[in-house]
Amino acid sequence: MEILAQAVKMAFGPKEILKGIDLSLHNKEFLGIIGPNGSGKSTFLKCIYRVQKPTSGTILFNGKNLDELSYRESALQLAVVAQHNSYSFDFTVLDVVLMGRSPHKKILERDNAKDFEIAREALSTVGLSEFEKRSFSTLSGGEQQRVILARALTQQTECLVLDEPTNHLDIKYQLEIMDIVKGLDLTVVSAIHDLNIAAMYCDRLIALKDGQIVGMGTPRELLTEKFIYDMYEVKSIVKHENGRMNIMYIPKHHEKKGE
Amino acid sequence: MKKFIDNLGYLFICLILLGVLALALFWALSIGTVKLPMNQIYQAVMGQLSGNLPIESSGRGPVHDIVWILRMPRLIMAGIVGCGLASCGVIMQAIVKNPLADPYILGISSGASLGATAAILLGIGVNFGPNFVGICAFIGAFAISLAVLFISNLGGRSNSMKLLLAGMALSSVCGAFSSFIVYFANNKEGMQTIAYWMMGSLAGAKWSNIFVIGPIVICSVLFFWTQSRVLNLMLLGDEAAVTLGMDLHVYRQVYLLVSSLIVGFVVYAAGMIGFVGLVVPHVVRALVGTDHKKLIPITALTGAIFLVLADGLCRIIIPRTELPIGILISLIGAPCFVYLMIKRTYGFGGN
Repeated sequence: MEILAQAVKMAFGPKEILKGIDLSLHNKEFLGIIGPNGSGKSTFLKCIYRVQKPTSGTILFNGKNLDELSYRESALQLAVVAQHNSYSFDFTVLDVVLMGRSPHKKILERDNAKDFEIAREALSTVGLSEFEKRSFSTLSGGEQQRVILARALTQQTECLVLDEPTNHLDIKYQLEIMDIVKGLDLTVVSAIHDLNIAAMYCDRLIALKDGQIVGMGTPRELLTEKFIYDMYEVKSIVKHENGRMNIMYIPKHHEKKGE
Repeated sequence: MKKFIDNLGYLFICLILLGVLALALFWALSIGTVKLPMNQIYQAVMGQLSGNLPIESSGRGPVHDIVWILRMPRLIMAGIVGCGLASCGVIMQAIVKNPLADPYILGISSGASLGATAAILLGIGVNFGPNFVGICAFIGAFAISLAVLFISNLGGRSNSMKLLLAGMALSSVCGAFSSFIVYFANNKEGMQTIAYWMMGSLAGAKWSNIFVIGPIVICSVLFFWTQSRVLNLMLLGDEAAVTLGMDLHVYRQVYLLVSSLIVGFVVYAAGMIGFVGLVVPHVVRALVGTDHKKLIPITALTGAIFLVLADGLCRIIIPRTELPIGILISLIGAPCFVYLMIKRTYGFGGN
């Protein structure tokens, strides 16, 4: 699945959040979007998954303009795991996962054995087969996000959008979720805060700052000490070991001690 | 208990509940100032159902008249009202995504009482016939729902929060108008009538009403049952629904109109009966979960059973006097609800 964004702009009143984003997402690619808070990462992703409508510019899914697709058609092509979801009603885990079948269903159609099979398979992919009957709200944050990931998998789309899904999860869960996604052979776009995680999993990175793309490339090309300082105003040491990247941040108080 | 219910399968539970509803009807038919033995009731019921005579035809004997003219209509109406209110409660809670919602939440109750107040104190709508108070209440209730929908759509698409706030605002406007009328009419007798009306009563139930309201309520509930998928998505919120391929905007408006219609008719038939629409959905959720596919039919049946039993009880609980059903429901319902809250691990929306 290919997604093409052309001159996407987004403004809330006088404040411009996105100042013209051009981006192409290739088939089966793992694309990471990095950038400081308020850089427009989430807003841009929301434009792609249609929770917000760009003020101007076009987004194409496999060459088709998003405005011409119904929500159902776009939900058949792209699934989303958003920032932490909490619901004020108590669903069972299986209920939540089965909702991923919605776009495949006509309005009066009931879930059949096939849907249950797909949902259970997705649950086993995220390692939560045992949790089927548990109530969603009693799960831990990491487990909840995995259930939402299972829901997205149940949509059986070619493309997956992750909108900072691992925010406020501990390291174990962050890695777990990213590992599952990495193993899926899907086209993935993900907003990521943690640069080490971005470097570990992404084929290509895009850096956003103040609503503009300020850098693009493989993690190795993009994430240099200078670039990180320009983006976040934080000094760092970037090491390459056995083909893996390791970014260490140097906080200000540490710097002074060193002098 | 929950596990047991899970294994049963919800359609089977519905069948059991239908059986319970029939038993409740028989029990409620048998009690009252004149106690009737079951076999007489059975004969009277079967005699009517197998014969072709109209219900009102005279000379069919006292048992027939008690069963078919005095008790049956109000019990059937109680069932319909309970079914309608309980399922509207579920729908409203989904529409505004708030577990505190009940069928009256979007200002419908204040609209209805404004209509009733205007009818009783100012004599508006006397031409509508004997139940002109009910008709005015219906108009008030339905007009308010339309106004809430309209206001929440001003300046951008409506959402659950805007609906709630519009409902609150209109509700206080209507309340103010009602108080205004009460204050200036200075009519003690009328105020008493309003107070009684607000307590809700099924005493005015007639077969002719049942034949209109019954099908409407039952069809609407069946309609909502077919919408269970959308209703589930409503609880996830607009954003998640969009990513799952559903734009909730239109559905929300349609559901709101249909449930206002039901609530309007219920108000017309029985005045204001609170509590059922809030509590029954929660009780059922605690037992069968939130999936609307199970929730709607089971809630509808439970609501019906609850009101039939309540109507039976309110005729016998104080000898020779009838307790208004609204009072009774809150008296029994609230403690049961509190018990459930303490006893169960059900979150009632909070986590």
